[in-house]
Amino acid sequence: MSTPAIFAAVTGFDPLTGGEFLVAQNIAFAIMAITMLVSAVRMVTTGNVVHAALYLVIVLAGAAGIFILLGAEFVGVTQVLVYIGAIVVLFLFGIMLTKGSFGADDGVGGERRGIAAMVGALVLAVMAAALLDTFRDAELSRAEPSLTADVADLIFSRYIVPFEAISVLLLAALIGAIVVARGD
Amino acid sequence: MIAALTTPYVAWWALVPLITFAVAGFLLLTVASLVRRLPAVLAPAWTAVAGLGVLLYLVPMWSRVGRDGADSFLAGTVGVDRSSIFVTGILAVAVIAAALISRDYLPREDLPGVELYVLLLMSAAGGVVMASANDLIVLFLGLEILSIAVYVLAALHLRRIESQEAALKYFLLGAFSSAFLLYGIALVYGATGSTNMVRISAFLAQNVLVDDAMLLAGLGLLLVGLGFKVAVVPFHAWTPDVYQGAPTPVVAWMAAGVKAAGFAALMRVFVLTLGTYVSDWRPAFQVIAAATVLAGAVVAVVQTDVKRMLAYSSIVHAGFILVGLQAATDRGNSSVLAYLAVYAFLTVGSFAVVTVVSGTGDASHGLDAYRGMGRRHPALAGVFTVLLLGQAGIPFTGGFVVKLGVLAAAVDGGAYWLAGVAMLAAAVAAFVYLRLLVAMYLEEVPSGTETSGAVPLGALVVAVASAVIVLVVGLVPGPLLDLARDAVPVLVAG
Amino acid sequence: MTAVLLASAGTSSFPVLPALVVTPVLGALLVMVLPRRRPELLKLVAVSTAVVTGAMSFWLLSAFKVGDPGFQFLSETPWMGDLGVSLLFGIDGISLFLVILTGLLFPVALLAIDPGHDARPYYAWMLLLEAGVMGVFGALDLIVFFLCFEVVLVPMYFLIGRWGHGNSARAATKFFLYTMAGSALMLVGILALAFLHADATGADISFDLVAIAEAQSLSTGAARWIFAAFALAFAVKVPIFPLHTWLPDAHTEAPTAGSVILAGVLLKLGTYGFLRFGLYLFPEASHYFAPVFLTLGVVGIVYGAIVATMQADLKRLVAYSSVAHLGFIILGTFALNTEGIEGGLLQMVNHGVSTGALFLLVGMIYERRGTRMIGDLGGLQKSAPVLAGVFMVVMLSSIGLPGLNGFVGEFLVLLGAFNAHRWWAVAAAGGVILAALYLLWAYQRVFHGPAEGDNADMPDLGLREALVLAPLLALIVFMGVYPKPVIERMEPAVDSLVRHVEFHVDGFSEPVSQMGSEIGPLDDSHGEHG
Repeated sequence: MSTPAIFAAVTGFDPLTGGEFLVAQNIAFAIMAITMLVSAVRMVTTGNVVHAALYLVIVLAGAAGIFILLGAEFVGVTQVLVYIGAIVVLFLFGIMLTKGSFGADDGVGGERRGIAAMVGALVLAVMAAALLDTFRDAELSRAEPSLTADVADLIFSRYIVPFEAISVLLLAALIGAIVVARGD
Repeated sequence: MIAALTTPYVAWWALVPLITFAVAGFLLLTVASLVRRLPAVLAPAWTAVAGLGVLLYLVPMWSRVGRDGADSFLAGTVGVDRSSIFVTGILAVAVIAAALISRDYLPREDLPGVELYVLLLMSAAGGVVMASANDLIVLFLGLEILSIAVYVLAALHLRRIESQEAALKYFLLGAFSSAFLLYGIALVYGATGSTNMVRISAFLAQNVLVDDAMLLAGLGLLLVGLGFKVAVVPFHAWTPDVYQGAPTPVVAWMAAGVKAAGFAALMRVFVLTLGTYVSDWRPAFQVIAAATVLAGAVVAVVQTDVKRMLAYSSIVHAGFILVGLQAATDRGNSSVLAYLAVYAFLTVGSFAVVTVVSGTGDASHGLDAYRGMGRRHPALAGVFTVLLLGQAGIPFTGGFVVKLGVLAAAVDGGAYWLAGVAMLAAAVAAFVYLRLLVAMYLEEVPSGTETSGAVPLGALVVAVASAVIVLVVGLVPGPLLDLARDAVPVLVAG
Repeated sequence: MTAVLLASAGTSSFPVLPALVVTPVLGALLVMVLPRRRPELLKLVAVSTAVVTGAMSFWLLSAFKVGDPGFQFLSETPWMGDLGVSLLFGIDGISLFLVILTGLLFPVALLAIDPGHDARPYYAWMLLLEAGVMGVFGALDLIVFFLCFEVVLVPMYFLIGRWGHGNSARAATKFFLYTMAGSALMLVGILALAFLHADATGADISFDLVAIAEAQSLSTGAARWIFAAFALAFAVKVPIFPLHTWLPDAHTEAPTAGSVILAGVLLKLGTYGFLRFGLYLFPEASHYFAPVFLTLGVVGIVYGAIVATMQADLKRLVAYSSVAHLGFIILGTFALNTEGIEGGLLQMVNHGVSTGALFLLVGMIYERRGTRMIGDLGGLQKSAPVLAGVFMVVMLSSIGLPGLNGFVGEFLVLLGAFNAHRWWAVAAAGGVILAALYLLWAYQRVFHGPAEGDNADMPDLGLREALVLAPLLALIVFMGVYPKPVIERMEPAVDSLVRHVEFHVDGFSEPVSQMGSEIGPLDDSHGEHG
């Protein structure tokens, strides 16, 4: 996301195109961005860990939506599959396996809240600075959305070896998990 | 919508070793899960045959590469040259040896199942990927396949808590080192605009970076990541614990195979890809090499556990290999390859003996277990003597020949002080091997030691064959040195 | 290896030097496949192998061309092609007598003493040791020399450790580590020398001793550094004074045969190394460092003598007397003139014969009495007059009595040292007197006086023992009375070495006559070598 894009999303006015072009996208972006922001804040303030995980789902889904909006459909789908489909589910598993109750827990956060806020602010500052510094007012080319089919072509041609290697890697990890977990 | 898929050129003939290892693993896994009662000998035999097949196939491959020159394919992500064939050969030998040692080890320890062999084959496949990678991402994937399989292999002895501990340590540190490596790859990509080794080296040869801080940082991180895998100081701390805890046949594979693949990767990344920056990384390599040989040798002296001794001695060997590697010359590269080959034999042979001596439970690794071995098992003790003398680099063993090679490479490059330090460390390390010899021959058999029975066949074959090869290389070094000299690593654009 | 070595025979005559190495190796292999429970058969094979080897080495004496300063019996086989290492063998007047000494002492040691237990590995190790020593004296390739120089540690380690007395494991380990650490830097030095030589001359990498020594292509600074690396290795092996501490332990704990070989042959590896690889390769550096070695040599002479005087253990006494004797050899070597070097060389042979014989005699006494403590012995002359007589002769040779071999060598050393640096010679002469003191005093305590207890009925020399000692005694007398055959074979080689040193040292301040011989330094010595 470039600065103009954020600016456009907030004000509904795109300085580059005079506000006529891609209005629908900007509106969609604004909705998603606000939803993500609210969910992210709720996620760290809610007292219930399961709720926090579900808020995280909303944040990640919003990110996926923005990817699709930018024409990166493969990344968007991957975002849904990997983060929502796998990682949040992993979180939920973790919560279920380690906690007795799913109710509110006032112990979350507590006195470390200040430190967490600081870390959050710091990450925001670093990322913002890095993004602004790197892209400045350069514009993303929006003419050609990257198609999943192209990615697939590349995976099965140029990157076939890494792809196959990853499958072996996963198989090895799978066997490993079974061996380690099997017990005697 | 459907565009014609343009598939890149694939040199299938060069992928045969990789495919053989991987498919042999899959097939073994499939068959073992379908057939309820497999004959116990099938899995090790299958693994050894796969390794042997690869080894045999390497012969025509070697001459083909010699005739047609090195090649790269799959859009330049994988290459084949004689150095990758050489390292693949070392991996195949290590696979065969580990399979043979495991044949008797698994029943003795009552560990059923074929997982060891499957994982062994897979990690060998990973090693082959590492040795022939022309792209940093592919290299990383190869490393991960190798490593993940070995993490699990280390944990394979389910009833030994040390085994679990070793696996966890190895896994945690290995994961860290992978992260370092990945970050290094990212930074190198940032600095050069590619992960392809050929393109990186071409870019660095044609462009002078005004601000090379990012590249140097990436270089440092790559060194850390690969340094962990080959266990050089200061990234060596996991080695003794892991060697001590992991099942001994697995340690043989770790010491011989993983190290060979790791050094092959180091050579491809630093000497070939980042060769233009040799004046930047050579001092670091020299310092690390000196620290590695010294620390390894000195700490090895105070060990009482034989597996730990051999772990530290493997660290010393890693330092010696670096002594050759830092030269970054043809002489240095061939000396590294020759060292890796002889070291593989030395180490699988030694661990074969250690496997036999450790007894049921894989527990007796103290010097006590070796006392009076010269009397109880003259043949085994004799073989072990040859292997230990080889590790010490005594003349007329292969160990001396390859040590001479790396030292010559270092001296040729003007690194006299490094060669001197390495030789002094070798003299210190000799004490370690002498302690074992003293225990085997010069100390009385402790009363109450049962005279152990017959030596299992698999381990015996490995130990004897290794000792014979080490001696033959020591007496007639020509063939090995010629092979290593011809095994020039090159990068070819795809 | 055999096949490779013998394959080189084709061009010239029989490759006798490789055969000297290979024969004991074959003998060792044969011993290893013989049945373990037949010690007499094992001994027969081992002794006959050593005798055959010894006979070949004596044959060299007759075939040796007197008056030729160059290397003879050359044979070359490429070995590590990539690195330019080849199995290059050849001997000259300097190494000839050391080869013969080796060929003589091994059969004697094998015949004289039985190992007592584990006969098979014992004989195998002894024969391998002989092969290694022959390799050192014959090698003209620096790497091959280093290989043999190092590999002798292994058999010696096992011989001391497994068949020694007392705390032999510790002594063996000490011996091994000392010498290995000492020679560690020599390998780096050899490599540096060869690569610098190749750089300077533009030739392919090669470790050919003669080519490198004659070219003298190194800068003075580099040569001095590399000489230091070589010198450390040799100084430990000799051993020169502050590095000698491994020697008494190794000698005392070693089995008798081990001591004989250690004193007779192995200590010569260092002194031979100084001559062949120190002076020849680095004439300027040898001259530069000579005062250090002269001083250490004299210190060794005096120190060895004083410490020997105070020993209570007869074997330890002989061991320390070795330190003193080797001091003489070093003194002669670094006098850097013909007399000194020749004397040193003669002393190498003499020390091998007489100290070897002394260790044999001490071993025989130990076998009979079970002790080597001088205090426990006494009056042995009455019960064993022959043994006492032999001991007397050998001891007098060791002291350097005129008419026996020790005198010739010692005299030449002192003469050479006196010509070059007279005060060192004067100090060394004091060592001669001390040697007479401690040996005669020891003799008096052991053989004279009243014989008590077991000392009174100690058996005298048996036939076998007498046979073993006879050749050594004969040599002691022969070389004392008529050293000419030995000296005339040594002299050309020593002479040309001295001229080589003089030629390459600027402002060599030696008042030696042959200053005019600077035309063509030693080209003739290289003549045969292709």
